[in-house]
Amino acid sequence: MSENILEISGLNKHFGPTYANRNISFSVKKGEIHGLIGENGSGKSTLLSQIAGMYPRDSGQMLIDGEPYDPTSPIDANERGISMVMQELGVVGNLPAGVNVYLGRTKQFSRFGIVNLRKMRREAEAQFEKWGLEAPPLGDMPDGMMIESRKMIELARALSVDPQLLLLDEVTQSLSLNNREKLYALIRRFKEMGRSVILITHDIEEMVEITDTITVLRDGEVIGSVRSAETTPDEIRMMMVGREMSGHYYRTDHAPSYGEQVVLDVQGVCVPGELEDVSFQVHEGEILGFCGLSDSGIHSVGTAVYGLSRISAGSVRLTAGDIRITSPTQALRNNVGYVPKDRDNEALMIHASIRDNFCLPSLTELKGPMGFLSPGKLKGMSADMVKQLSVKCTGIGQAMDALSGGNKQKVNFGRWLAKDLKLLILDCPTRGVDVGVKAYIYQLMNEAKANGIAMILISDELTEVLGMADRLMVMKDGRVTKTILRGDDFTEQAVIGVMI
Amino acid sequence: MKSSGRKKLRISDIVPFAAFVVLFIFFTIASGGRMVSAYSLKMLLEQSILTIVCACGVLFVVAQGSIDLSVGVNVALSGVVGMHIATVTGVGWLLIPCCMIIGLLIGLLNGFLVSRCHVPSFTLSIAMLIGVRGIVNYIQTIIGIEYVPASMTFMTSSAFRIIFFIVIAVVIGFVFEFTRVGRYSQAIGENETTARFVGVPVSRMKILVFAISGLMAGLGAIFSMGTVGGTTMTMGSFLEMKVAMAIFFGGVLVTGGSSARFYKVILGSLSITVIVYGLSLIGMSDSQISESVEGGLLLIILFLTILTNRRRSSWKKETAVAEDSAVSLP
Repeated sequence: MSENILEISGLNKHFGPTYANRNISFSVKKGEIHGLIGENGSGKSTLLSQIAGMYPRDSGQMLIDGEPYDPTSPIDANERGISMVMQELGVVGNLPAGVNVYLGRTKQFSRFGIVNLRKMRREAEAQFEKWGLEAPPLGDMPDGMMIESRKMIELARALSVDPQLLLLDEVTQSLSLNNREKLYALIRRFKEMGRSVILITHDIEEMVEITDTITVLRDGEVIGSVRSAETTPDEIRMMMVGREMSGHYYRTDHAPSYGEQVVLDVQGVCVPGELEDVSFQVHEGEILGFCGLSDSGIHSVGTAVYGLSRISAGSVRLTAGDIRITSPTQALRNNVGYVPKDRDNEALMIHASIRDNFCLPSLTELKGPMGFLSPGKLKGMSADMVKQLSVKCTGIGQAMDALSGGNKQKVNFGRWLAKDLKLLILDCPTRGVDVGVKAYIYQLMNEAKANGIAMILISDELTEVLGMADRLMVMKDGRVTKTILRGDDFTEQAVIGVMI
Repeated sequence: MKSSGRKKLRISDIVPFAAFVVLFIFFTIASGGRMVSAYSLKMLLEQSILTIVCACGVLFVVAQGSIDLSVGVNVALSGVVGMHIATVTGVGWLLIPCCMIIGLLIGLLNGFLVSRCHVPSFTLSIAMLIGVRGIVNYIQTIIGIEYVPASMTFMTSSAFRIIFFIVIAVVIGFVFEFTRVGRYSQAIGENETTARFVGVPVSRMKILVFAISGLMAGLGAIFSMGTVGGTTMTMGSFLEMKVAMAIFFGGVLVTGGSSARFYKVILGSLSITVIVYGLSLIGMSDSQISESVEGGLLLIILFLTILTNRRRSSWKKETAVAEDSAVSLP
């Protein structure tokens, strides 16, 4: 018996000429909540993937409970009491949620080759109950579910192996406040049971609060470990970046500021099962924030305004030219932009080139006589944007899926800035990106605001909306419950009070 | 990491070229050089025209990740009906607009059913393939075979067909490669949800591409009747398969998207014709085995195309991780 559940020494992993992990040594004690933090591409996910048996390591040693550990597959890792919730692995969209929980381990439910689905579903239900998680309808296909529910299914899958060590790769970012609380409770319970958790999150405040120890990675190397109780978010940030973070993260002013002109007028919008009698106006240069718990309907506001959902009553109107938005095509034509929450599935063509992704919303503006799209113009525009946004890539012809999360998001967000926008809808624009890119996106938002672009900012992260919005609309059960103006009352406590 | 915009030549892009060149050289040698005679080359082009014209239309559909298997029967129906109208009215030139309109109408019907009624294109076009063939057979048992009217005999000259073909190819090449229609179609094939979320008029685009495909089949009927001199009982049969093969042979993936390119259609069609024509040149077309040889060759080249594409994607995945792990600040 060892006091450490996991010990890693001298671990190396490289892909081609690039080192993803270099001489990594660290250990996790039993009953310890260990945070792993670093910028996008610092090698955190690669490290966890090796612990979870996804990739083999190149060299180095791993010990589990003092015993040598060489997982050949995730299933192998499961048997040693290790399971992981991946950042972007997802679930099988057209298998029932309950089956997804036991994916790859259906054998225990089968007799003579026939799988007892009812039993499997009951067991899956029991898992959710056991760990105090809210179960999505387990007979339904995950395809129709929100990211959050799909994440919960993955979490249940990881928990169903009854792990001694749970690896969580950016799970909280996909969850809304209430489910985050449940996850924190679960993590605390793990600790009480003497089990351990390694978690990755980009939310530094969150990490300092819930972990015992934090290990910082940079360029694939361990920069250092600190005790969470003895550190501050600023210190962590400095360790991550390697220098003092200059400039400001969020907006610095404490008063609302926006033009007189109303850009968007939403009146009494109802979407069956999602929104009920939602009305608001967005002004020139205003950032209108939306926040709420899961199922509060904040994400539906985005789809409804962009003409993606069928509105049963009410209207979404652009005041300039008095245009009623009924379809995304019309929204696009009238200079409205939309950055969806689910980057890989809804926003980007991940197998297509960076150029194609950049140009897609701007094709109408780029076309010449007879609808001619000059290849030179498309190339020029995307090359300019890549440079302007400093997207890290080998060239504009590179496929999207070769980029890291932060760079993908730069393309996703930046392509709208190439247009002469009037209104931009942002649904969780900083989901899964590191502090550097996050700060950059806030900077872009500030610039857009200064240029008079109206913005709707929908976010699961309260600090983000509080940091950026001029006005904040709090939603609950598909209704707007309160509107708060930027000012003295703009605090987390005040908002949470209304949200719940 | 360098941020040069240098294009890398991918193996998967070379395969269709290589296949064409290898096939061509093989049959040139096997036929003792007869493949490169002026006559052979002209025959090659002429035999490719019908496939290319129809494939030009289907390319748009495939780019969206759908398939149109009704082009063969569409050629037959629009040809037979267009010819009959021209014959009955005695106005020869009506043949051309009638073929185009009937082709277009069938395409529109396909597009409507796919986009509004959400019938998968594969099943829909198979149903059309069977159903419309029945209608064509019924009509033909009544009216029989008809010949190109005297006023329209210019249709049968190869000069006309080649010029007409070049015009069509240029127009379609332009529309597919250099306008929003092509780009949007590729976007729909890449990720339909993304296309819709960005604001691409997805259902309108779906109707449009099937309409283009139908229209091209109508034009195909004109070429088909031009070559033969009139309608035949087997007009357009198996053409849809030849067209689909040509497209996939050229290196377009079944999922469409940015793998769909105009030049691939030309290459694929030519390769297929080289196989068919080459086999007849070396005297294998009469033997019973020739179709098996055709099939075997197709299989090999499709396998190579898919294999190289798969290799590309796994290579991409590896770089993806490498990219992720290489760090610098924005």
